[in-house]
Amino acid sequence: MIVIKNRSLRTVLKYLIPFFFIPIAAVFGTKLFTTRAYLFVSFFVAILTVVLFLSGFETREVGTRRMVIVSVMIALCIAGRFIPFFKPITAITILTAVYLGGESGFMVGSFAALLSNFYFGQGPWTPFQMLAWGLIGLFAGYFSSLLKKNHIFLLMFGVLSGVVYSFIMDVWTVLWYDGKFHLALYLSAIVSALPHILLYAASNFIFLWFMAKPFGEKLERIQVKYGI
Amino acid sequence: MKSFEAYNPIVLTAYFLSVTLVLMFCQNPIFLLLSFLGALLYVLIRNQGENGKLHLHYFLLFLLFAILNPLFSHNGKTVLFVINDTLITLEAVVYGLVSAGCVITVLYWFYSFTKIMTRDKLLYVFGKLSPKLSLVLSMGLRYVPLFADKTMRIKNAQKALGLYKEDNILDKCRGDLRVFSILLTWALETGIITSDSMRARGYGKGKRTHFSIYKFHSCDYTLLLLVAVMLVFTLLGIGIGNIGFVFYPGMAWEDVNIFGILSYIFYGALAGLPTLIETGDRMKWKYLISKI
Repeated sequence: MIVIKNRSLRTVLKYLIPFFFIPIAAVFGTKLFTTRAYLFVSFFVAILTVVLFLSGFETREVGTRRMVIVSVMIALCIAGRFIPFFKPITAITILTAVYLGGESGFMVGSFAALLSNFYFGQGPWTPFQMLAWGLIGLFAGYFSSLLKKNHIFLLMFGVLSGVVYSFIMDVWTVLWYDGKFHLALYLSAIVSALPHILLYAASNFIFLWFMAKPFGEKLERIQVKYGI
Repeated sequence: MKSFEAYNPIVLTAYFLSVTLVLMFCQNPIFLLLSFLGALLYVLIRNQGENGKLHLHYFLLFLLFAILNPLFSHNGKTVLFVINDTLITLEAVVYGLVSAGCVITVLYWFYSFTKIMTRDKLLYVFGKLSPKLSLVLSMGLRYVPLFADKTMRIKNAQKALGLYKEDNILDKCRGDLRVFSILLTWALETGIITSDSMRARGYGKGKRTHFSIYKFHSCDYTLLLLVAVMLVFTLLGIGIGNIGFVFYPGMAWEDVNIFGILSYIFYGALAGLPTLIETGDRMKWKYLISKI
């Protein structure tokens, strides 16, 4: 699925971001904002990486059907974020990635983060959330054949991604607060976020446990029936 | 002159990004003070002081963040006191206060941002970046209430069939799962129908246009230019103005030069801009009313 339609712009971005924009951001950040260079660089690298992934995805035109299915999945994630305590967003991202591929997984994860912040409040944390959830989808897509076959691996992947998501977001919290990576602060942030981490892992486990089969059947049926 | 939130969404986004990012990446006590005053005054003026809970919430968060740093950082040469072999230094306390202040100020700015930038405005901004992204987002936004409505209908139908029990938690979960499964099938089929309908009407052929009621007026250009000039002078000061403030080992200012002072003035003006525009707008309104 192509987000940036202009082919030449896409190619330019694919090469310019890793070899020009990211180094420029690193040099600019360390020269200008000396005390909080880590925060500056990580913030802009997060944004640029999301753009890079979006511009680097498969170039074949897969049509409107997949795009609409992706929006349906995003909406399901957001509708699920209103459930108290248990959030199905990671589980839906993983399942979409397993059945529709890594690029769709990345888009569902990152856009669900962006869109649900329309409801819960945007902030400087949005790019990091987009990257973290998008990467969960991308990796689920890479391991899709394994995750599709083995239910235990799928559940383990869900638990692990809940933990990894919290670890990534705590890096951001510490950087935002302290400007540099302070290990003691990071550990204390993880300890204080422990209930949340457990809740994330548990909700991923529960949702994957119950939804994997109906979700998989339905997505496979749609794929066979309409050839997405 | 019009109300601050009535300016073009792109101008507003540019404004909020520049005012918050400068503060996030440049931890300077004077920037913090100016930005905090600007953000707080704007929230107060816009809401007529009706947000007691919000301010209390942010204040508690501020205290929590301010306490964290002296507990974990023991740099600095002025020791205030010792708890359980832990040195609490003045420098670490001040650093904690400034860090916490920066976080809270950014939260205040984004509170206003979220209030001002309604969904249609954000979609307009994203549509300018990538039409396809904007389409996916707006379809997602439309599906959320649609799915909520459909869930209620499915639930009612299931209840009428006697399939949805709420006797115990296990039955309820099983029922919810069945409702979700039905919703999923329906949502995927509807999605396919939508996409077929889109293709039949020629989606993807030719250039995409999208509806928006936001135009660039002359005052939008003026504000954008103003923000750009202020941002450039602020960044210039950060680059060559020696505005650094050293926390460790002892607190000290670097020798600030004329560019540094200019950057304080321009950043202060930038932070005060929404309050100024809003007050100017209200004064004009009062003046016009008094003439009737």
